[in-house]
Amino acid sequence: MVLEVMEWMSETRLSLLFGSAIWYSPLIQVAHLVAVAVFAGALLVVDLRLLGTGLTQTPVKTVAEDAQPWLMGGLIALTVTGLPSLFQLAIKQYYSPFWWWKMEMLALGLIFIFTVRRKVLQTDESELGSFWPKIVGLVSMALFLGVTIGARLIGLS
Amino acid sequence: MFIRTVFEWLDALPTSVLLRESIYGYPIMLTSHVVSMTLIAGLLVMMDLRLTGFGNLRTSVTSIQNQLFPWQMLGLATSALSGGLLFYSQPMRFYGNFWFWVKTGLMLLALANAMWFHLTTYKTVAQWDTAPTPPSAARVAGAFGLVLWAGVVITGRMIAYSGLVPQWWIDLGLT
Repeated sequence: MVLEVMEWMSETRLSLLFGSAIWYSPLIQVAHLVAVAVFAGALLVVDLRLLGTGLTQTPVKTVAEDAQPWLMGGLIALTVTGLPSLFQLAIKQYYSPFWWWKMEMLALGLIFIFTVRRKVLQTDESELGSFWPKIVGLVSMALFLGVTIGARLIGLS
Repeated sequence: MFIRTVFEWLDALPTSVLLRESIYGYPIMLTSHVVSMTLIAGLLVMMDLRLTGFGNLRTSVTSIQNQLFPWQMLGLATSALSGGLLFYSQPMRFYGNFWFWVKTGLMLLALANAMWFHLTTYKTVAQWDTAPTPPSAARVAGAFGLVLWAGVVITGRMIAYSGLVPQWWIDLGLT
């Protein structure tokens, strides 16, 4: 089922378009990396604060609210720049264990930051204590570290 | 020619050959470099957004500068180590690579921009520390920082595309 979808993706006009010119693929990949930097910055600045380091002079809630537009903007840019590569390299990615690892970590990471992490960030700091915010920050960083490692290794698989 | 001689000497060193021929060396170094890049570039973006007046406006400039600095230095140190090892494992591959030299140049410009900002505009930070819109000189330094570090990330990725270079570079015959 998944393989059939991937085969279809690899034969779409989008896939053929990005495979047709020598500059398309690198352009999309560098745009994806710039989006990674924006997303990572917005994620890290909050996760470090949850760990009790980084911007400790600013309340967690304020740091998170200010980072949110960049987190969402980065995520949208990552999706837009990630889809062409997904379509163009669909078959290669299907057979790469690192791609599956990246997607599993990404799914877990997104679910985590939009559920548990979000709930923690919306809760008053005095009610949270010091233990759970640290765990949430660590888990968030670990999941997206997994995404980054998987993503880099796809090209070497 | 002197640079080429140095690169060739490095290329022939036993530890360089060892790294180059290691199965896991390259993937480990490359992955470490990308992870450290996300740390340093991500936190630099957050700092430069504050300087340009586009983000993190409820945090003071000194707070962002001082409290993110240790993490940025950690990112810079791990990035320099992993990048240095990547370079050391294949010096002659990088010698003729257009994007490697552009990346190196952009990194030097980004560091010069940061030093210039700290030695000039940042000295008056007490006057505009909590202002949502910093003075023009700070905003320009932040904008330069964003553009230069984006350039470093972009040209770093382009190193893998050693064939996509201007014709005049090919004509130099460095490869």
